[in-house]
Amino acid sequence: MTEIDVSDIQGFALKGYNFPYARYLLLELAEPAAARKFLYQLLKVVTTGERWDINSKPMSVVNIAFTFRGLAQLEIPLASQLSFPLEFQQGMKARADILGDSGKNSPEKWDLVWREDRVHAWLAVNARTADELEKCCGDMLALMDETQGARVVQAQEACALTINGKFSPKEHFGYTDGFGNPDFKGAERDCVPGQGKLNQDGGWEALATGEFLLGYADEAGELPVAPIPHLLGRNGTFMVYRKLHQNVGIFRSYLEEKGKQYAGGKEKLAAKFVGRWRDGTPLELSPDQPQPAIVADNDRNTNFKYSDDLAGTRCPLGAHMRRVHPRDAFGFNGGLVNRRRIMRRGLTYGEYVPEGQPVNDSDERGIIFMALNASIFRQFEFVQQQWIEYGNDAHQGNDKDFLLGNHEGKGRFVIQGTPDPQNPPFICGGLPNFVELRGGDYFFLPSLTALAMIATNTVDPR
Amino acid sequence: MGNVNGTTYGLTILSPILEDNRLDICHSMELRWYLSQLPRDHRSPFAQLSSTYLARLVVMDDVVFVGHPACQEHLKSRYLVFETNFDGDLDTYLRRMATETKEFVDDVWRHCVGFPGTGDARAFIAYMKKCQLSTTFFFADVNDQTVDSTLEALKAQAALAHFMEKNQGKSAAELQRAFGEFLERLRTAPPLPRGGDESRAIPQEKRRHD
Repeated sequence: MTEIDVSDIQGFALKGYNFPYARYLLLELAEPAAARKFLYQLLKVVTTGERWDINSKPMSVVNIAFTFRGLAQLEIPLASQLSFPLEFQQGMKARADILGDSGKNSPEKWDLVWREDRVHAWLAVNARTADELEKCCGDMLALMDETQGARVVQAQEACALTINGKFSPKEHFGYTDGFGNPDFKGAERDCVPGQGKLNQDGGWEALATGEFLLGYADEAGELPVAPIPHLLGRNGTFMVYRKLHQNVGIFRSYLEEKGKQYAGGKEKLAAKFVGRWRDGTPLELSPDQPQPAIVADNDRNTNFKYSDDLAGTRCPLGAHMRRVHPRDAFGFNGGLVNRRRIMRRGLTYGEYVPEGQPVNDSDERGIIFMALNASIFRQFEFVQQQWIEYGNDAHQGNDKDFLLGNHEGKGRFVIQGTPDPQNPPFICGGLPNFVELRGGDYFFLPSLTALAMIATNTVDPR
Repeated sequence: MGNVNGTTYGLTILSPILEDNRLDICHSMELRWYLSQLPRDHRSPFAQLSSTYLARLVVMDDVVFVGHPACQEHLKSRYLVFETNFDGDLDTYLRRMATETKEFVDDVWRHCVGFPGTGDARAFIAYMKKCQLSTTFFFADVNDQTVDSTLEALKAQAALAHFMEKNQGKSAAELQRAFGEFLERLRTAPPLPRGGDESRAIPQEKRRHD
């Protein structure tokens, strides 16, 4: 039994808060002494992974992470700086070639704040209400003012979509989002079927802690690569931040056009793209229609495998969900995917446009995608390069992920079918970019101990 | 046993590199520089040799001491390591090297001890065989196909996918007619271009993970 010290781990690393409001303050840090003073004050308010008493759930939460430039600005010892993994030292922009971030997704097309390399830290405020968000962000700004330790380069708003007057778990394309996240040992909740790794009995169990937190054994029984001293890395993790613009108009008109040609109809086609019906029902469990009862049942909505559907006639081999979490699709009882898992956090930004209303794709609208993992290189970068921007593992040749692929108008998505007239094979060609990258970077999300060491200038690599 | 897997041949050559203390730049360094400048795309000399799956050239100065309890060992010479996988038999491939990539082979192996040049193909083949080590384990992805037949199959597959996309939803009669035309186009398509031609390859995404 792995025990983890939840009071030393930032809450963001352990749970999705499910608060509807968020603001990501992208900070430029001041000279080291002032910046450390700011972090010292911040220590008192950073939210940890401790369980919340049912009667005292906070109204807002605060978390912080640093880019490599941020740690250099804080002047942590050079020996510690250089002990961070190479990809983190380089930052996401320098990894564009590896990630397939070219053309419309290339760094020169990103938002100014990401082009200019000025982001040192990500200070995230999540809140239950708009008022609480303002209040907490106000407190953060006051702290920056008081210490003169940092200033906001940009404030990125994010908010759950309001559909029919209520907050919705859907994203802009209309899919219910946020079902699966890998369970790992030591985390608070019990393992949910379908969310950890497959065991020899065909059941599911939690992944090794070291796949998501530094300082613990990973799936290979090794400690993940982490900075020195050990205390600087332990209970911390790495975060990938990507601002993904969604071209809702392009998506809807593409779906409309192809939906008329596809014998299964528009909604089934939308389900084939992703592997879930837009209400969230997995195609593997219900290939012919959405079933709200499955969506509502946490023991069922992620509890499925692909080994009975190796031809992809229920869920296409290249469907988004199947690509990024292939479960047992590659054989070996899922053994090939256990070291390629990422913890997803994210929230939509921009206004939801109801179906049937005109959409302007140049409006700000999309998802702030954040992924947590112990090794950006082994986990996120592999998923992005091999499973999103390439199709060989999924037996899809050069085809890219339907939703996230950098298609440049030339993409293709194959839907495997059966003789059933409602489930024919179908090929979608000429795929445009439904999603465009607008910037982001790689961050280190330290433990409370590490944050205190940085704030008090006591990081000692000896 | 070794060297052959299905119709694929795995060749390993170790050619000792010349030592000459009178030179400003030693042979191994000059060779490293030359190899680093070689194109790796369709302009690569190995793209000319159209039966090549993959090829690798490395300058090996010495074996590396990995620490106790290993003992320190040294090679008698610096070596040029040449590894290649190709279709067919060794003599044909070496003869093609000596004739179709003559200039490249001379530029590389002139830094090696005992290289007779490519002017006499038989002497070159004998020299390479003298430097050959048995290859017991190598990458042979498609054992019973040649590079050419694999490329032909990939082109046919890409054409078929395009055909399916363009013709889905048509009536059975229309589809049959279109498929007949498609098969005819495939049957009368020109043969694969020669090695080294840019259009020979199936467009592949750039893959790098370093």
